[in-house]
Amino acid sequence: MIGWGASRQCTGWMLATLTAATLVVGGCASSPGGVNDPWEGMNRGVFRFNEGADRYVIEPAAKGWDFVMPDPLERAIDRFFDNVGFPVKFVNDLLQAKPVAAAQDLSRFVINTTLGVAGFFDPATEFGIEGHDEDFGQTLGYWGVPPGPYLVLPIIGPSSPRDTVGLVADSAGQVYPYFVAWWVSSAITATDLLNRRSLALDEIAAERESALDLYAAVRNAWVSYRENQVRDREEQESDRDDDLYSDPEDDDAASD
Amino acid sequence: MMISTATQRMTMLRRIESERTGAIARVGALVIAMTALSVLGPHAALAVTESEASARAVVEQTVDEVLAILSNDSVPTSERLRSIEEVVYGRFDLQAMSRMVLARNWKSFSKEQQTEYVAEFKKYLSNNYGSRIERYDQQKVDFLGARDEPRGDVVVRTKIIGGEFEGSQVDYRLRKQSEKWLVIDVVIEGISMVSNFRDQFKQVVSDGGPELLLRKLREKNAAKVALE
Repeated sequence: MIGWGASRQCTGWMLATLTAATLVVGGCASSPGGVNDPWEGMNRGVFRFNEGADRYVIEPAAKGWDFVMPDPLERAIDRFFDNVGFPVKFVNDLLQAKPVAAAQDLSRFVINTTLGVAGFFDPATEFGIEGHDEDFGQTLGYWGVPPGPYLVLPIIGPSSPRDTVGLVADSAGQVYPYFVAWWVSSAITATDLLNRRSLALDEIAAERESALDLYAAVRNAWVSYRENQVRDREEQESDRDDDLYSDPEDDDAASD
Repeated sequence: MMISTATQRMTMLRRIESERTGAIARVGALVIAMTALSVLGPHAALAVTESEASARAVVEQTVDEVLAILSNDSVPTSERLRSIEEVVYGRFDLQAMSRMVLARNWKSFSKEQQTEYVAEFKKYLSNNYGSRIERYDQQKVDFLGARDEPRGDVVVRTKIIGGEFEGSQVDYRLRKQSEKWLVIDVVIEGISMVSNFRDQFKQVVSDGGPELLLRKLREKNAAKVALE
C-alpha cells in the first residue's frame, strides 16, 4: 500500500511491460460461457495472502480509524479524496471523447472545491450534477481493449492486466504527488485507503461470513462491476445475459 | 510629469482591476454554462411498452412498501424484517431464482435435493440480506426507466438517492409467471445476484456435488440461527 504511492518512479517500465503483457494475454485465453480465470491457482494464493494481510493488518487498522473517526467525518474525507482525484477523471472523460461528462466533472470540481470547502462536502450532487468515475482501465475498455484474464494483485486486490496498466497510468496522472515529497503522498494514499476500508468494514465482514466461496464471489463481483463501469451503466445488455436467465426447468432450455 | 505618471498608474491599476473582474466573470460564465450543460444534457423522450409499465409498477409498489416498513421506527426491527420478508416473498420468484443459480447443475439434483436446496437457499437469502437491510434506511429510490429483454423479461432500472448508498444503481429483472410479474434477479452496480451465487455454487458443486452444497447451506443457516 505504501510502496504503491512511491512507485511512480518505475511507472515508465512497468507501463511498458504491462502493456506488452496485456497484448500477449488479452488476445488468448477466454473460456466460453464462464469466468476467464486461467491463473486461478496463483490468484487464489495471492487472494489468501491478501485476506491474511487484511485480517491481521489492514482491517484492525481500519477498525482503529473507524473507532476514532465519526462516520460523517469519514464520509467527508472520502468526498475530499474523490474531489482530489478530479484530474484523473477529467483526463479520462476527455480520452473517452465524453465532453458532457468532462464538463460535469469540471463543474463538480469547481463547485465542490469552493462551495464544498475543499471538497469535504458535495453541493454539486445537490445541484443535480452527476459525477463520473472514469479511470484509464475504463478508457482502454471503452476503445475496445479486453480486460484479459482475472488477476489478483498483492495488497491491491482484484484486477486484470488491462486495469493494472490503467492503475499505473492513473497514478502517474494524479497531480498532487508532483508537488509534495514521496512520503507525504504515500501517507496521503495510505490515509485514503484506510479511510475507504473503514467505510466498508460491515459489508466485507458480512460477505466473508455469508459467502460459500469468497474467492468466486469477489471475482464475479469485480468482473461484473468493471464491465458495468466500462459500459457506463447504459441500457446495453451484458453479453452473459443470454445463458444466465434460462430456467433449467423450461423446455427451451433443455439444450444442455 | 508627476501628474502624468500618477494618471498612468491609475489607468494601469484600473485596467488590471477590470481585467481581473473580467477574468472572474469569464470563469463564472464558463462554470454556469457547463453546469447548465450538465444539468440539461441527458434528457430523452421515452416510449414505454405495456410490459415495461406493468413491471415497473410492481417494482415501484414493492420499493414503496419496503421503504414504508423500514421508516416506521415504532415497530421493532425483527418485526419489520418479517413484514419485509412477506412483501418480498410475494413479489420475488425465489423458486426460479434458485433454479437459475444452479443452472445445468439443477438436473443433477434429485427431487428431494431440489426441494431441500430451494428451502435452504431461501433461508440463506433472508438471513444474509435481512441483516443488512437496516442500512437502507433513510433513502429514496429514483426510477430511471425500464426495458424489454429476451424471454419476455423486463428490467426496471432504479437509482438510490440519499443515505449510505447514494447514487448506486439497482436493476430489477422481472418475468411474467401466470399473469403476474415477479422479480427474478437484482443487479446492483452491474453485479447480478443470480450470477454471483451461480459462480460460487458452481465451485462448490464441482468440488463435492449436490451434497456438499446442501451441507454448506445448512451450516451457514444453522450458524445464523445460533447467533440469534
